[in-house]
Amino acid sequence: MESASPFASGPPRQRPAMVSNPTSVVQTPLIGRSMAPSSSVPLPSPFGSALPGFSRPAATPLASRPPPPGAIPQGPIAGNGPRIPGFTAPRTLPPPSVQPAPPSAASSSIRPPTPYASATQDSGLQSYPGSPPSGASVATLPMPFVGPPASQQFGRPPTSQPLFSGPPRSQPPFAGAQYLQRPMAGSTNSQLPLAGPPTSQSPFLGPPTSQPPFTGPPTSQPPRPNTPQPPFAGLPTPQQFGGPSTQTLTGPPISQFVGPPTSQPYAGRSSSPSQMATPSSQPFSMPPTVGTSFGSPVWPSQPGQMVPSLPGNVQAPPRMFGMPPGMPGQPIPPVLPAMGHSALAGPQVSTQSKIDPNQIPRPLPNSSITIFETRQGNQANVPPVCIQSIFVVKDNGNCSPRLMRCTLNQIPCTGDLLSTSSMPFALMVQPLALPHPSDDPIPVVDFGESGPVRCSRCKSYINAFMRFIDHGRTFVCNLCGFTNETPRDYLCNLGPDGRRRDADERLELCKGTVEFVATREYMVRDPMPAVFFFLIDVSLNAIQTGATAAACSAISQSLADLPDGPRTMVGIATFDCSIHFYNLRRASQQPLMLIVPDIHDVYTPLHTDVVVPLTECRQSVEQLLESIPSLFENNKVSDSAFGAAIKAGFLALKPTGGKLLVFQSVLPSVGIGSLSSREAEGRTNASAGDKEAHKLLQPADKTLKTMAIEFAEYQVCVDIFITAQTFVDIASISVVPGTTGGQVYYYYPFSALSDPGKLYNDLRWNLSRPQGFEAVMRVRCSQGLQVQEYAGSFCKRIPTDIDLPAIDCEKTIMVTFKHDDKFQENSECAFQCALLYTTVYGERRIRVINLSLPCTSMLTNLFRTADLDTQFACILKQAASSIPVNSLSQVREQITNLCINILHAYRKFCATVSSSGQLILPEALKLLPLYTLALVKSIGLRNDGRFDDRSYWASHVMSLSISLAVPLVYPRMISIHDLTAKENDGSLSSSNIPLSSEHINDDGIYLLENGEDCLIYVGNMVNPDTLQKLFGVTSVDGLPTQLVLQQFDNDLSEKLSDVMNEIRQQRCSYLRLRLCKKGDPSGMHFMSYMIEDKTAGGLSYVEFLVHVHRQIQTKMA
Amino acid sequence: MSEFVDLETQDGVRMTWNTFPGTKQEALSCVIPVAAMYTPLKPIPDTPVLPYSPLRCRICRSILNPFSVVDYVAKIWVCPFCFQRNHFPQHYMSISEENLPAELFPQYTTIEYASSPDTGPKMPSVFLFVVDTCLIEEEIMFLKSALSQAIELLPENSLVGLITFGTYVQVHELGFGHMPKSYVFKGSKEITKEQLLEQMCFFAGRPRPNVGVIAGPRDGLSPESIARFLLPASECEFVLNSVLEELPRDPWPVPADQRASRCTSTALSIAASLLGLCVPGSGARIMAFVGGPSTQGSGSIVSKNLSEPIRSHKDLDKGAAALYNKAVKFYEALSKQLVHQGHVLDLFACALDQVGVAELKVVVERTGGIVVLAESFGHSVFKDSLRRIFQSTDYDLGLAFNGVFEVNCSKDVKVQGIIGPCASLEKKGPLCAETVVGQGNTTAWKMCGLDKKTSLCLIFEIARKDGPESISQHTSNQFYFQFLTYYQHSDGQMRLRVTTLSRRWVTGSADVQDLLAGFDQEAAAAVMARLVSLKMEIEVFNNSPDETAYYRMILNRENVANAVVMIQPSLISYSFHSSPEPVLLDVTAIAADRILLLDSYFSVVVFHGASIAQWRNSGYQNQPEHETFAYLLKAPREEADAIMKERFPVPRLVVCDQHGSQARFLLVKLNPSVTYNSNNPPPPGGDILFTDDVSLEVFLDHLQRLAVQ
Repeated sequence: MESASPFASGPPRQRPAMVSNPTSVVQTPLIGRSMAPSSSVPLPSPFGSALPGFSRPAATPLASRPPPPGAIPQGPIAGNGPRIPGFTAPRTLPPPSVQPAPPSAASSSIRPPTPYASATQDSGLQSYPGSPPSGASVATLPMPFVGPPASQQFGRPPTSQPLFSGPPRSQPPFAGAQYLQRPMAGSTNSQLPLAGPPTSQSPFLGPPTSQPPFTGPPTSQPPRPNTPQPPFAGLPTPQQFGGPSTQTLTGPPISQFVGPPTSQPYAGRSSSPSQMATPSSQPFSMPPTVGTSFGSPVWPSQPGQMVPSLPGNVQAPPRMFGMPPGMPGQPIPPVLPAMGHSALAGPQVSTQSKIDPNQIPRPLPNSSITIFETRQGNQANVPPVCIQSIFVVKDNGNCSPRLMRCTLNQIPCTGDLLSTSSMPFALMVQPLALPHPSDDPIPVVDFGESGPVRCSRCKSYINAFMRFIDHGRTFVCNLCGFTNETPRDYLCNLGPDGRRRDADERLELCKGTVEFVATREYMVRDPMPAVFFFLIDVSLNAIQTGATAAACSAISQSLADLPDGPRTMVGIATFDCSIHFYNLRRASQQPLMLIVPDIHDVYTPLHTDVVVPLTECRQSVEQLLESIPSLFENNKVSDSAFGAAIKAGFLALKPTGGKLLVFQSVLPSVGIGSLSSREAEGRTNASAGDKEAHKLLQPADKTLKTMAIEFAEYQVCVDIFITAQTFVDIASISVVPGTTGGQVYYYYPFSALSDPGKLYNDLRWNLSRPQGFEAVMRVRCSQGLQVQEYAGSFCKRIPTDIDLPAIDCEKTIMVTFKHDDKFQENSECAFQCALLYTTVYGERRIRVINLSLPCTSMLTNLFRTADLDTQFACILKQAASSIPVNSLSQVREQITNLCINILHAYRKFCATVSSSGQLILPEALKLLPLYTLALVKSIGLRNDGRFDDRSYWASHVMSLSISLAVPLVYPRMISIHDLTAKENDGSLSSSNIPLSSEHINDDGIYLLENGEDCLIYVGNMVNPDTLQKLFGVTSVDGLPTQLVLQQFDNDLSEKLSDVMNEIRQQRCSYLRLRLCKKGDPSGMHFMSYMIEDKTAGGLSYVEFLVHVHRQIQTKMA
Repeated sequence: MSEFVDLETQDGVRMTWNTFPGTKQEALSCVIPVAAMYTPLKPIPDTPVLPYSPLRCRICRSILNPFSVVDYVAKIWVCPFCFQRNHFPQHYMSISEENLPAELFPQYTTIEYASSPDTGPKMPSVFLFVVDTCLIEEEIMFLKSALSQAIELLPENSLVGLITFGTYVQVHELGFGHMPKSYVFKGSKEITKEQLLEQMCFFAGRPRPNVGVIAGPRDGLSPESIARFLLPASECEFVLNSVLEELPRDPWPVPADQRASRCTSTALSIAASLLGLCVPGSGARIMAFVGGPSTQGSGSIVSKNLSEPIRSHKDLDKGAAALYNKAVKFYEALSKQLVHQGHVLDLFACALDQVGVAELKVVVERTGGIVVLAESFGHSVFKDSLRRIFQSTDYDLGLAFNGVFEVNCSKDVKVQGIIGPCASLEKKGPLCAETVVGQGNTTAWKMCGLDKKTSLCLIFEIARKDGPESISQHTSNQFYFQFLTYYQHSDGQMRLRVTTLSRRWVTGSADVQDLLAGFDQEAAAAVMARLVSLKMEIEVFNNSPDETAYYRMILNRENVANAVVMIQPSLISYSFHSSPEPVLLDVTAIAADRILLLDSYFSVVVFHGASIAQWRNSGYQNQPEHETFAYLLKAPREEADAIMKERFPVPRLVVCDQHGSQARFLLVKLNPSVTYNSNNPPPPGGDILFTDDVSLEVFLDHLQRLAVQ
C-alpha cells in the first residue's frame, strides 16, 4: 500500500539530468551528447541518497555535473555537507562579492549573535547549540529542530530580543531589531538550501550583499553557517512575537531593514533573519571579522559550525520577527537616528540620500538544511521560505509546502478582516512537485475495490482531520461538517485521546498527502498509455536557421528518456504549408511520408501506424529524425500551417490522448488559426499613444481557444517550442498550451549555435520529469470559504473541477478563495486538493493533499504568518493575467497600490505605536517593496518589451511555481571572475550581489540568472588572463556574441561549470546563455536587470521605498 | 454487301443509305435514318502522310480534295462544298495535270497531314494511374501484378503518375527521391483545381500569378513542380514499382455491416485536376482501376450500409436511386472538365459487385475512354486487355489523344449529331440540324481519346424540301462530305486526317431500286442499335445498370462488323462432316459430334458436343491415328484466338462441353426453338433449353401479325 515513492509509479524514472551540453562537456557543440554518461548516472540517486550527497560535494567532478537536473535538490544539500574539514577549505569562495560591505559593522554585528545564541539556549533550544558546534552531521540537525516547539519559544523571544537588540552590531540600528528577530531566523537557515549556507548565516548574510557586515559572512559560508543556527533553534520563540513581525523601515526602520534584509532575503522566511542572528552569534562572530575580508578563509570554518540547519526553527524565527512591532519601538528608534532615516520619517523629505542603500531589505540566501515538520503540537507550522532554502519535510498531517501552500498561514475568520489586510488570499498548488530526497515519501494507499472513504455529502476524501466520534462509528467531515457513517470494514475503536487506535498505522489518517489507488469508478476508460507526438516545423525559415535540425536532434536523443515499456508510443509529423505524417511501421523499414494538404479541414491520413510503440519502431523513428533535415533541405515553402498541424497532431492522438510537442519557427500564416503579423501595426499604434496596445497580448481570435478546449477534452496536452527569429504572436499561440496543461518554450532569436543545448535539455526534462496524464483536479475547502477561481494551465469545463490533460512537477495552479461565512476563532480551516491522474506507467491514482490552518481574527496574526513567497507568486500571476486586459501603466499602478495598501494596513492596525515618520514593514513582508519594484520593472510590465516577450512572460508566469517566481523577477547575480578566490565548495548562492549597477565593476565578470536566462556580463577592464581561462579568448572584443560555454582545463573554468550546473539543477532549467559586454547593446540589456537602479521609467529601490512611505503617510493622514 | 465493306476499307465509312433519299419527306419515309458509321483512325494501307499543311477553301475552310475541280491554267481550284474558287498559293504553282499533289489523287479520298516540327513539338503521352485500394488482399495482389506488367510496357518517353484511393485519395509524388511520399486528400470532400494548386505547393517559394487560369508550364508552373507527380516512365519505373509493391490495402477499418469507404469520384476529380494543372491540352489518360462501389464523395452510388442494396434498373426507373442523379451530375461536370482539358478517362472495373459504371459512363464516353468490365483483377479479360493497351504489336490499339472531329457537307445535308465516344464542342453553324441526336448542335466534336477502331455514328438529316424542281436546278445530283480528324498520334505527333466522300441523291418512286441498292443492312443495324440504346434506358433484361452501361459503351464505339456480332452472335460449326460453316443461332445447332464456336463479342465460347467431349477426354487426339480429331479440336481454338487477338476489350473465352455448367454461355444465346415443353423433340445428340421465352419463329409470327394489322 504505502509506497514511499514520490511519484506513484515513477520513482524509477530519474529526472533527466540537465546536461549541459556545451559547457561542461567537451563535446560541447553537440547538444545532446554531453548529457549522457557521467551526468546521468549520478543523478538518479540524487534524491534517494541525500546524505551521501553531502559528503560527495567535494568529490563530484564538475564536468559531469550536467546530470544535475534530477539532482537538483541535492545540490544544495551537498553544500551543507561541507562540514567535512577537507571540504571546508575550498568553500570559502562565495564571500568575495560581498566585500564591498562595510567590514566594521560586520564585525560588531557578528558578535552579537553569540549572545543570541545563548539566549536561544535559554529558550530551551539548548540542544541546538550543542549540535551545531559539533558541526556534526546534518542528521543531527533535524533533531534539534524538532525539539523546539515553536509555541513555547514565542513567549521567550521577547526577552531575548532585547539581548539581540543589544547586540545589534554594526548596522546595529537596523539590525538590532531585525536581528533579534532574526536570530530566530538565523536558526531558520532553512531558506538557504541551495544558496549555500552562506546566506543563512545571514545575520551577516542578510546584509551580506548590501551591508558589509552581513555580507561578509553570508556570502561565502552559506552552507556551513547552518551550524550556528542550531542555537537559534531556540529561536522558535520568535513566533511568539507573533504579532507583527514587522520591521520598521522608518527612519530608523531603515536600519531595521538592514537587519531584515539579511535574513529576509528569503521572503517571508524570517528564518533568514533569525539565522542572521543566531548564526551571527556564533559563527558569525567569526565571520564578522571576516566580513571585511570575505574572501578570507574564516568562513569556511564557520560553515562547519553553522551546519545546524534548523529548517523547522527557521520558520519560527520569522514569527519572531513579528515581534518587531514591539521591537521597533525600542530598539529601532535608536537605530533610526543612526540610519539617518529621518528622510523616511519626513514623508515629504526626499531623504533618499539618507537611507543607506546597503541597509535596506534584500533577500538573503541560506544554504543550510532544515527540517520542516508540517504540524507540531497539533498546530500547523509555518512553512519555510522556499527561495533558495533547503528543507526536508516531515509530513505530520499537513501536506508538504512544496505541494500546496497558502498566502496566509492563518486564515482570517471573516472576509472583512481579509480585505482590511489587503493581502491576497490564495493557495498555490503544485500537486506533483519534486520532493527533496529526504522528504517523507508520499504513501500510496489502496482501499481495494471499494475505493477510498469519502464524505458522502461533499465527496471529500478521508484525511487526518476528519473526526471520528461515537466509538468510531461515525466521522465528521472537516470540510463540510457532515456526519458520515463509517463504512463497516473501516471501523476502528477510538483511543483515550479520541483518535482512532489505528490512526498512526493508517497513513491516510496521519499524513497530509496520500495517494489512493483509483478504482474503476474513477476511470471512464482504461488508463491511457504514454503517447508523445512530435510536430516539427520544416518551413524555409526553420530549415535555414537550423531549428529543424536542432529539434530533430533533440527529439532523437530524448527518446531514451521516454518511459520504458510497450505502452509508450511516439509519432512524428512535420509541417510547412501542409502537414506531413509518417507511417513508421512498414515492412520495408523505410517510412512513408503522407502529406495532408488541406489545412482548412484537417484529418489524419492513416488509421494506425501514425503513432507507434517506441519499442517496436525505435530504429525507424531515429532514422526518420536523422533524415528530416535533409528531406526538406531545399524546401522553399515559407508559410506555416501551425494551427492545422496541431489539429492534425491532435487527431492522431485523439483516440488515446497524449502529449503533443510542437517545434515552431515562424508566425502561423496559413490554414486554420492562421495569424497576422499584428505586431507591426501594434508598434505603430503604440508609438502613436494607442491605449489599446495591450490588446495585442490577447489572442487574435477564438479559433485556437476552441481547438484547445477540444484537445483538452480528449486529453491532449500541447507543449510548444518556439525557435523564432521574428514575431510569432505568442499571445495567440500560448492559448493552446495554456488550456491543455502544456507550456511554451521560447528561444528568441533562435541561434543554431547556442540554443540547441537548451532546446534539448528542455525537451528532455519535459519528457522525463515526473508527470501525469488525463488529470482532473479539485480543491475543496471548509465551509465558510469557497473557491473563487483557479488560475494556471488547464481547461475548465465545469465550475468546480479543472481538467489537466497533462500535469507535471513544475505546473502550479493558483486557487483563490472568498469568504461566504465566518470562522470561529479557534477552529481550523481545511483545504483539500484532490488530483485524479494517470501515471506514465498507466496507473490511475488520486493524490489527495490536505492542509489545515488555524483561523484567526487578529490582523497581527495574519501579517505575522503571511507567506511572502506565496503572496508574491500570487501577485505575479495576477499581474500576468491582467496585462492583456489593462494598460501597462494601470497594471503597474495596481501592483504598487497593492503593496502600499498592505503596508498601510499593517501600519495602521498593527504598528500604531511607531512614529508616523517611520516606514514600518511587517517582518514577513519586508521584501514586498523590493519584489514589487522588481515586478514593476520586469519584462512583462516594462514598456520597452516586445509583445512576444511579454506574452511569453505572461504565459510562463501563469503556471510558474513559487520557488521560481521570485527569481524570475528578482534574478540572482554573482560574480564569476573571482570564483576561485571564494572559499567555497562550489555552491554559488552565497555570493549574491544586489541588483544594482553600483556593484558591477569594470574588471569583473558577472553571471545573472532568473531561472530562464543566464546573462554573463563582461566588464571592459577584465583581466585577459581571466578571459582566457573562462572563454578561451584574450580580449573582450574577441568574445563571440553567441556564447557557448566550454570548460577549459583550469580552476576558474571548472568552477564556473560547477556553478552553472548547480544553478541548472536548482532551477530545473538549462538556462539560455547570453553574453553581455559593457558598452554594447547587450550590456544595456544586462543593465536592465539592475532593478535597484533608477531608470528612465522607474524609481530606484530607495526612491521606491520613499514613495511607498509617502503614500502610506498620505493615507494615514 | 461486300461493296459496302470495300467502301469501308477505303475510307472507314459505312452508311445506312449509300444513295440518299432526295427529299426530307422521302428520307422520313425510309424509317432508317441517313447515317454514317465512321472510323476516323481506321488503318488504311497506303494512305500517305503529307508533311505539310493542308490547303483550305477561303470561305468554308474545307480542304482541297480529289473532288475539287482544278483549273490548272488559272491555278484555281473550286471548292465542291461552297463552289468558291480558290487560287493556289505560291508553292502549288507547279501544279499540272501530270503533276498533282497527293491530296488530289483520286484514290486518296482519305489522306493525312502531319505537323512539321515547327508547327508543334511532339508531346509525350501521359498515363495517370488511379488505383483502388479497398480490395481484398487477393485482388490487390492481382492488381499489383497487372500494373507492374503494364508499367514495363509503357513507352519510355511517356509520363506516368499514380494516385491511389480508398477512404482517402493519395497522390504519390514519384519524383521525391528520399522516401515514398504522397499527398493525402479527404475522400468525402470535393476539391477544386484551384485548391489543388494551392495545396500541392505548386508555387512554393515563388509568387503566384494573380490573374488568369493557371495551367501547365506556359502559365507559370515550373517544370520541376510538375515533374514531382508526372515522370518519364523510364525514370520512375523503380519508384513506381516499389510503391506498388508496398501498396497496402486501405487501412481504415470496415465494420462488418458496412461497405468499404471508397471515394472513387474524389480520386477521379483530383486526377482530372492534376492533369488539368500539369498537362492541359496535351494527351493524357486517367486509367482508373476500381474494385467496388463508390460509397463516398459526390459520385457515390450507394451508402456504406450493407443493408442498402446497390441500385438496379428497377430503382432507376422508379427514381428510387437517390444517389444516381447526383452522381451522374457530378460526372457530367467532370466530363466537361476533362473534355476541356483534352484528357481521357479509362475505366477498369473489376468486381463481382457493381462499381458505378452506369454513373461513370458519361465521362468515359465523352472522353473516348476505354472501359473494361470484369469480375476480378485476376481475370484474363482484365489482365489481357490491360496488356493490350500498352503492347505494341500488330494488334495494338493505336491509342491517339486529344482529337477534334469536324464535318463538312454539301448544302441540304445537315448533321443531327453523333452517337459515339465524343463530346460536342458546341461549334454551331448552318450545318446543324434542328433535331438533335446524341452530341449535336455542332459541327465539331472533341475526342479526347480515340483509337484505331473508335467508330462514330453520324446521323444526318436531309433538308431538301421538294423534289423535282430542286433537283433540276442542279446539274449534278452528286454531293459531298468531308470528315476532318485532328489528333495527337501515339508517337506524339499532331496529325490531321481528311476523308472526303461523294454520294448521290435519288428521288421519286422511279429510283426506289437505286435507293434499295444503296441500303446497308448491317450498318443500319448498328446505327439503329446505337439510336435505340441512346433513346431507351428501360426494358433491360437480366443486366445490372453497370453491365448495361458497359455493353452500350462498347456498342457505341465499335464498328459495324463488331456491332453486328454484338447484336447477333456468330455461330460456327466444326465437324468431321464439313469444313467450318456458320450455322443458325439456334438450339438445333447443337449436336453431339460438333464443336460450336460462338462469338458473342464479349465472350467467345468453344462448345464441344457430348461425343467430342467424350473422345477428347479419352485422349484420342493424342493418338497418331486420330490426327484429324486433334485438328478438329484445334481449329475452333485457333479461330477463337484470332478473334481474341483482334478484339478489345479482350473477350471472355469459355471452353465448355455439352451438358457442362459453362455451357450456359452458349445456351443463353441460342434461339429456343426447342424447349422443355415443345412438341418436337430434339434430334439425337441435340439439346433443349429450359426456358419459357418464345422462339424467333413465334416472335416473327407475332411481328407479322402486328405489321399487317
